[in-house]
Amino acid sequence: MVAEIPPSNIEAAFVLDALQKNIRVDGRGIYDYRALRISCGPAPGMVEVQLGQTRVLARVSCEVTRPAPERPTEGIVLFSCELGSMAAPGLESGGGGGPRASAQEVAVSRMIERIIRQSRAIDTEALCIMAGIKVWTMRIDLHFLDHSGNLVDAAAVATIAALRHFRRPDVTVDGETAIIHDPRDRNPVPLSIHHTPVCVSFAFLGAAGDLVVLDPSLLEEQTQAAAFTITLNAHREICALNKAGGVPLDASQIGRCMQVAVAKSDELIDAINAALGLNKS
Amino acid sequence: MSRPDRREHEQIRALNCVLGQLTRTDGSAQFSSGSTSLICGIYGPIEAKLYEEKIDRAHIDVKLRPAIGLPATKDKWAESAVRKTFERNILGHLHPRTLVQINLQVKENDGSVDAAAINATALALVDAGIPLRAMVAAASCAVRKDGEIVVDPVEEEIKKAMSTHTFAFSSNSPDDNPVYVDSRGSFTMDQYDRCFDLCAMTVQRILAFMRTAIEGKVAKESQISAV
Repeated sequence: MVAEIPPSNIEAAFVLDALQKNIRVDGRGIYDYRALRISCGPAPGMVEVQLGQTRVLARVSCEVTRPAPERPTEGIVLFSCELGSMAAPGLESGGGGGPRASAQEVAVSRMIERIIRQSRAIDTEALCIMAGIKVWTMRIDLHFLDHSGNLVDAAAVATIAALRHFRRPDVTVDGETAIIHDPRDRNPVPLSIHHTPVCVSFAFLGAAGDLVVLDPSLLEEQTQAAAFTITLNAHREICALNKAGGVPLDASQIGRCMQVAVAKSDELIDAINAALGLNKS
Repeated sequence: MSRPDRREHEQIRALNCVLGQLTRTDGSAQFSSGSTSLICGIYGPIEAKLYEEKIDRAHIDVKLRPAIGLPATKDKWAESAVRKTFERNILGHLHPRTLVQINLQVKENDGSVDAAAINATALALVDAGIPLRAMVAAASCAVRKDGEIVVDPVEEEIKKAMSTHTFAFSSNSPDDNPVYVDSRGSFTMDQYDRCFDLCAMTVQRILAFMRTAIEGKVAKESQISAV
């Protein structure tokens, strides 16, 4: 099957021409985010995020396993990212990071892993049931359903919202025995999440990368000269910065992006809280 | 003995579907029966890979992804159920040397996924405008240990069942000839016949539901094009 066809020269030139007059092809302002819709449930840890036309489904699940021998008191967190032919024609999923994974799939899954695992958003020690014997293994499955630009931001919102929405079975440990309670006997408990990191992505267009847009659409992503993703949490702490390749950018642009990202990350976190809050009542 | 969700034995769960949600696919449908929910995206007819190209008809490719974890044997089985149901039903000879790619993503699995996958695919094929011989719908039922037959079983009922049966029927088969049959477990011929009749009856209801859904979408689209 044919791989994704890049936009024609005329299309790309049209995007740039319009941007030079401060107009985006989809009618948004330069620093406008597309409409974000977060739907939680019905199952715990099931969240679908729609960012414009981009759609991501996140599923969080858990099981009891043996811990890694070098970290006997820590639970395990696994990620599986699937950017397959459902999202866009010609894409092929490596099936959760297999050898056939496309560069884009690897890039998105690495980014999500970085912001959740390496910013220590999940308290892995709280996932320990009995040191060295039994721990919880959390599994986060990300399914991309529709790819129309900015997968990373949508995936980050879906992942952290799903983790906060998830409830694991309650466990009581009594000496050598652990009892895992059926959800019908005892209310499942939420995970211990330290903070809520969210991504805010920018695309730089034009030969020198001097035209900046927030939340790039697919067409903008395909014509971009460089991309920049800022990951922030509710305390306005930077969890990750990512500018992989592309044209060199002016340092002052990064500062401006940072100010925009701070404001947008607040909005994203508010949206996540609202979606989770509505779900509780 | 009542059912876990207090339904009648012959009662199906609430049906819901959304057509044409996805933008990148040629056609898509989300089908849910209670909490069991799938989304199906279809491309077709598109260029086929050289090795799967068939000179006289379209190649049908089905990919099903489970909600949690990587595809396992039972997911491959569901893929083959969908492929075998639709291989004869899609008018493939109209598009020789092309590919019709069916992508299914399970959103939530609470029993009767095979039947829901067939139903989601049927709706998505209509949305994609792939020429079909007839509409197809599927239903499942389970024979419990006490001999009672329950329609559209949930996961809990399937686990405890003596046998489970899935039938697909097409809208134009003259004598209720099934297009797909899958029976598992041990059962008597009498139980099989009762399951067959119950599923045939249920499929009629699902076909009527699909018809309403498609009519609604067509009416909406013709309204837009009239303006």
